[in-house]
Amino acid sequence: MRFDIAVVGSGLAALVATRSLQKAGRQPVLIWPGLSSLYFVYATIDVLGYRDATATEPVDNPRAAIGELIAAHPDHVYARAGLEALTAGTALALDWLREAGFSWRGGLDRNVVLPTATGTPKPSCLIPDSMAGGDLGRDDPVIFCGFEGYEDFVPELAASNLSRTWGHAPGSVRGLRIRPPRFAPGRLFTSIDLARSFEDVAFRREVADRVRTSIATNGDRVRIGVPAVLGLTHVADTHARFEEEVGHPVFEIPTLPPSVLALRLFDRLRKHLQETGIELIWAAPAHAAEVSDGRCHRIQLKSPGREQAVEARAYVLALEDTADGAMRAGVHTIQDPFFHRVLARSDVPTERTLESLFKPQPFAQVGYRITDRLQPADDDGRPLADNVFVAGGAIAGYDPSGTKSRGGMAIATGYRAAQEAMAA
Amino acid sequence: MISDDLDLITDTVEEQAPVEACTKCTACNTVCPVARSTEIFRGPKYLGPESERYRDQHEATVTAGLDLCSGCKLCEVTCPSQVSIQEYIRRAQNKGAREKGRTLRDWMLGHTRLLSAFGSMTAPLANFGNRNPVVRLAMEKLVGIHRKRPLPRYQWLTFERWFKRRRQQAATLTLPRKERTVAYFYGCWVNYNERRLGEMVVHILERNGVNVIVPKQQCCGIPAVVNSNIDLARTYGVENVRRLSTLPAGVDIIASSTSCGLMLKHDYSHLLDIPGAEPVGSRTYDICEYLWMLHEAGDLDLTFEPLDTRVLYHAPCHLKSHGMGYPATRLLRLIPGVHLEEVDEGCCGISGTFGVKVEKYDLSMKIGSRLFEAVKAAGSDSVLADCETCRMQVEHGAGARSSHPVEILARAYGYR
Repeated sequence: MRFDIAVVGSGLAALVATRSLQKAGRQPVLIWPGLSSLYFVYATIDVLGYRDATATEPVDNPRAAIGELIAAHPDHVYARAGLEALTAGTALALDWLREAGFSWRGGLDRNVVLPTATGTPKPSCLIPDSMAGGDLGRDDPVIFCGFEGYEDFVPELAASNLSRTWGHAPGSVRGLRIRPPRFAPGRLFTSIDLARSFEDVAFRREVADRVRTSIATNGDRVRIGVPAVLGLTHVADTHARFEEEVGHPVFEIPTLPPSVLALRLFDRLRKHLQETGIELIWAAPAHAAEVSDGRCHRIQLKSPGREQAVEARAYVLALEDTADGAMRAGVHTIQDPFFHRVLARSDVPTERTLESLFKPQPFAQVGYRITDRLQPADDDGRPLADNVFVAGGAIAGYDPSGTKSRGGMAIATGYRAAQEAMAA
Repeated sequence: MISDDLDLITDTVEEQAPVEACTKCTACNTVCPVARSTEIFRGPKYLGPESERYRDQHEATVTAGLDLCSGCKLCEVTCPSQVSIQEYIRRAQNKGAREKGRTLRDWMLGHTRLLSAFGSMTAPLANFGNRNPVVRLAMEKLVGIHRKRPLPRYQWLTFERWFKRRRQQAATLTLPRKERTVAYFYGCWVNYNERRLGEMVVHILERNGVNVIVPKQQCCGIPAVVNSNIDLARTYGVENVRRLSTLPAGVDIIASSTSCGLMLKHDYSHLLDIPGAEPVGSRTYDICEYLWMLHEAGDLDLTFEPLDTRVLYHAPCHLKSHGMGYPATRLLRLIPGVHLEEVDEGCCGISGTFGVKVEKYDLSMKIGSRLFEAVKAAGSDSVLADCETCRMQVEHGAGARSSHPVEILARAYGYR
């Protein structure tokens, strides 16, 4: 199969790269290796929440902080992609969200601090409108509202944690539990079950009634934080109606995986690409780049029945992360599936991980060395192929977890890789 | 996956991961059309890899709700770890049916070819019965076929006989020698229900200089697979593999039914584990996939008549499993005046014989409701789908006319 430009991946980097190519009038194909696990952890688009993984003070102005970061660390992924790519890519992403029917807000000049499901404050950059009410820069009291049977959001825990770091008066944070209608008592369910139920008007009204009745005695100026389960597909309406019915501002809080916010986001963006004429190849993991004379001539897809070659002018390998199976881990080595290069070696596999989940993990640093044009490079820094570009988590040293920069790095590298692919 | 033998992992034709590769990420549950539509269904993650860990060949199969899996395979399409979720469910369904026995209805639906051959022989009577409310009520009560489900119309003249007759007529003419030859796996649908589709496939291929032969063939076996009768499916599959293996080298196999094609390409060598199936699968192509290949080789006749038509395209679930993208949309965009829009609202809900059954009809219509609404909202009365049962469901649920994409191509070639 021959295409103009082939993008491989299923995360935000792949989507932004594909959209950038589409907007520039090119005909990309998106080769989708299955839902990446990151599909479930995205909620907001974080650009830079902390200057480094150990910082405790959140970044206020991500654009300015990234400028400083680039100056201080010319090898940082942001430095390689460039501030321009971040700026242009973010503008493209925001336009796209609007066109696809989302209401999002935010910009690169300001972070907003929102409560997480455990009640800790977390800086984010671009956020859906349904989360905006959680802004901890405002001082109106917060009620965390959970649902009996949904064990992934514990309102009392969130309230107790948040009240330690935030709160202007005693009692300004509290937790509340509502028994959702229809679910038999004692039944446990997931964020997806709840989100599907919320799309039913009668269910939503009944829950709103129960919430309103429960907080009526406690007076007026409060906002209500609920786990992000207000509808699985199109949210704007469900959130606005629910807020109206409850009679108080309501904001969504990202949950443990599966993240309904991420499902909403990526399902819609993927569909929007398809509706606007972009072809998707499902169920065919890509591998094996064939390179000669410095150019990649084809990659292979593992399709049922046989391998299928995809030939394109350029390739964007937007493999989101080690978590989505982009790399092949052996006992001692980690290799990439395209060039079959050993990207990391360890005497014992446990060297790849640290016991504390909250420390930067060595495995997360594994990836392709890249050139200044985001081409995968050999040990001497020469491109493995002139027309292949890497975006997202397959880049070595790409570890957005501690700095809260997952979305921004995906956008910057996805956008930049697309620009380079067009020029290749 | 931990292995130092990287060639094993990266260079196999297809990656299939063992049950341990399931990370319980729940991606499958979020896309499962059945889980979306009923709270009773516990989802592919639980019924597939999670239960599989505890299944024992020597114990009875007890997982409840197994029969609600419709077999769309979207779970496998979505799995980031390439776990064959649906195959685990299929095997367990089959084992359960073997232990508990099958209903007459499921036995019949598994023997689609037999049923269709009978329907075709008695076409006027069968078609009358299938549309008669009294007969349908009786069928619902006695057999368990939902009375509201429109059943396909049978044709007295089968594709097989049409093709034979045509060959006899053509034998008197001297045909130009053609470079390419394909064997057409027409499937039961074309043979007994929609001969015209087969005629169009032959016409399009021949117009493009491809010689078409029709080898003797059996049902592909998918109706048996979905009715928990893997043994029967294997019997069919073994027969097909035996016959198709004797085709001369260089003859590719073409299927115009998405699911028949997927059986030949994939399920024969995986789910059914039929010896010799891989070489058959590796030369099997979906009709649109094959035509696109011709186009890329510069051999597709592009002298189309402009059509000026707006059509919607619904990608069948099993088409996504082919891992070949959407060749039909690429082909149709070559025709001047064809305005093609894709509706991606997921599964149509019928899943072969699933939506025919009395206890599953309502669920099947609920699953398809998003697609029906999208089709109605798009205001188009023509929906293209590569799969025959998708077409039945769209016509029934959305009240739109539905046809195989090659019909547009045939029209553009002036085929009436």
